[in-house]
Amino acid sequence: MVERSLGSYQPDATLPRDIASTSSRLILTRWAAGAVVVLATVLCSRVLGLPLPETPLVATGGVILLYNAVFVLLSHRAYSPQPDEYLRRIRRLVILQVGLDWISMAVFLHLTGGVTSPGIPLFLIHMLMVTILLPGPSSYVYVALGIGAVATLAGLEAAGLLTHYAVIPALPAGLYRDPIYAAAAVVFFGIAALATVTLAASIVTRLRERERQINGLFQTTRAVSSTLSLPDVLQSLAGGAAIALSSARASIRLLDETGERLTLVAAYGLSSAYKEKGPVEVSLNPLAQEALAGRPVLVRNTAADDRLQYPREVLDEGIQSLVVVPIMGRNRPLGILRVYSEQVNRFSAADAEFVMTIARQGAVAIENAMAHEALQRADQERAQFVRTVTHELRSPVGSAQSLLRVLLKQLTGELNDRQRDVIARVEARLNALMALINDLLALAASKTSGFQEKPGAVELEPALRVAVEVGIAEAAEKRIALRFEPLGDRLTVQATIDGLALVFGNLIGNAVKYTSEGGQVTVRLMRQKDTAVVTVADTGIGIPAEDMPRLWEEFFRAGNARKAGIIGTGLGLSIVRRLVESYGGRISVQSVERQGTTFTVTLPLSSANTEPDPD
Amino acid sequence: MARILVIDDDPDMVLATRLCLESAGHEVEAAGDSEDGLKKLKASPPDLIVLDVMMDSATAGFQLALKLRGPNPDPALGRFSKIPILMLTAIHTTTPLRFGPDKDYLPVDDFVDKPFEPDDFLHKVEALLKR
Repeated sequence: MVERSLGSYQPDATLPRDIASTSSRLILTRWAAGAVVVLATVLCSRVLGLPLPETPLVATGGVILLYNAVFVLLSHRAYSPQPDEYLRRIRRLVILQVGLDWISMAVFLHLTGGVTSPGIPLFLIHMLMVTILLPGPSSYVYVALGIGAVATLAGLEAAGLLTHYAVIPALPAGLYRDPIYAAAAVVFFGIAALATVTLAASIVTRLRERERQINGLFQTTRAVSSTLSLPDVLQSLAGGAAIALSSARASIRLLDETGERLTLVAAYGLSSAYKEKGPVEVSLNPLAQEALAGRPVLVRNTAADDRLQYPREVLDEGIQSLVVVPIMGRNRPLGILRVYSEQVNRFSAADAEFVMTIARQGAVAIENAMAHEALQRADQERAQFVRTVTHELRSPVGSAQSLLRVLLKQLTGELNDRQRDVIARVEARLNALMALINDLLALAASKTSGFQEKPGAVELEPALRVAVEVGIAEAAEKRIALRFEPLGDRLTVQATIDGLALVFGNLIGNAVKYTSEGGQVTVRLMRQKDTAVVTVADTGIGIPAEDMPRLWEEFFRAGNARKAGIIGTGLGLSIVRRLVESYGGRISVQSVERQGTTFTVTLPLSSANTEPDPD
Repeated sequence: MARILVIDDDPDMVLATRLCLESAGHEVEAAGDSEDGLKKLKASPPDLIVLDVMMDSATAGFQLALKLRGPNPDPALGRFSKIPILMLTAIHTTTPLRFGPDKDYLPVDDFVDKPFEPDDFLHKVEALLKR
């Protein structure tokens, strides 16, 4: 059971961004509104000759533009790296803006004729924006305030407590004092406002819900596909499901091998007491049974549902409703995903269907992660198997070789020529067999990640020198000059000592083996930018051009090597190439038949080369 | 002539070492596992121990050597800590660098690869006996 933070998961991350962008749209619109008020006033009064209170109206427009500029500054300063704090500040700013707008709107309506103002519908636009910004009860409060403003204006002007501006000469002069007209104007405005806000609110709420779901699904998909670690996949899945349903809590339980018990493998937002509430036995848990049958299950009210296995613990945790969905694998149910809420009847059937979608995504990722884990286990087991088999193969051959060498040395008494010849042949065959076993082991090791030790910083030159020294004895027997041209620099590469010994032991051994008496083998170490370059060059039999493409294949041996009767397994170069590539390096070969061969190994230098010398 | 204790679970390896050592005039006692080896060691301390690495476990030989001469040797075996140890190992072949006679790593005096070369083996035996 792994409990960790969700990393990239920030359930509220989208919300502040959302409200912040809407707030900036509000500011943008306000620039237009302020400018229109000023320009339209001047236009209407100067060009159309309408009797507008020009100075107060232009002043109102000016005030709108002025406070808008202040809000631009304040919005910049409201930024906080903490999403919660940012959200709080932006909300405060938005409420302040809406309040000032309401006052400006009331003043504007008053100056343009009160209840007879042709500008009344503009209020609806502002209400719409407020609904989008602050969906929920606050938008209705604002509607009430808006209707109140229009009604109050109508009342005060009719009672003569407030000057009435008759801005449209064509309208009857006393219209604003007519109670029927005033009442009708206020009521119809009210109905239009309520209808607009209600419709907008329902659309916005649904949109937000979808947005959250898509976000949850997106985050889940991204998180579960970015890792093969089972705990990470499970944790992302639980977090994603909770976010998608705007819930704070979720959990995942997987079936154990018996298929009878569900084990908690990931929890999001649950208390540790709840997580440790006890085992979930499928046979005792009707909810789990229903879900594992492939259907989503809704518990609308935990207090009144007798399908809960742990009713007390559920209530203690404050869980009032929950949804349980199956996590269905390709061939069998893998487990269940649950999302909890502290509200009664919080989840709908559509919610349940949506979590099913997330669970389906998750099932694929879980099975992939499980397959990956199984592969790693198999890799480990194979490594152990190779180790055991190798020991079992090498021991008897080694003992037999040792015994034969005792005989050949005539430590047990003198042998005649024929006996010595026979024993020498047996020993030669055993030597070849031992070489094959060693190569097979090295090949298996290079293919089994669990077998090898992790590469670390290794100094290249000493490793190379050891391989050269091993080769010198063989070279001397054939009167081959084996030369080593070191660099003098300390070059460090990411590798293992054993691996480098194998790589260069093989290359130098081959060079000596395929070079005839009196030839030359040169091992050279160089540095090229950020790489170490080792060349092993011989003056040997070379590799026929037609054999070059198959050179790195397992068990492949060049035609001229076989014809010459030189013993070899054909495994060495494939081992060498695998090892070099596992260290991030490359190996290449150049050869001319009957003239010689040069192998070039390039290994990236490890960062240790740039660090100061420890001595 | 010296008394040499060979500890190896492979009877053929024991025979090979015995033939070698006896041809050089040494007296050989053999043990098939660590426990047997310790018993024979206590019964009559030899001049040299030839020790196999892999016996009942992959590192049984290492562990026996550590018991005799490691950083925390078995106090009951203290009196044997001066006996030279020659280790027979197959691992040595593939890892010529790592298993040098490093006192921190392995408390033995020298190594012989399995399968062994009689000359090389006897050479190392004589060198250790002379010390």
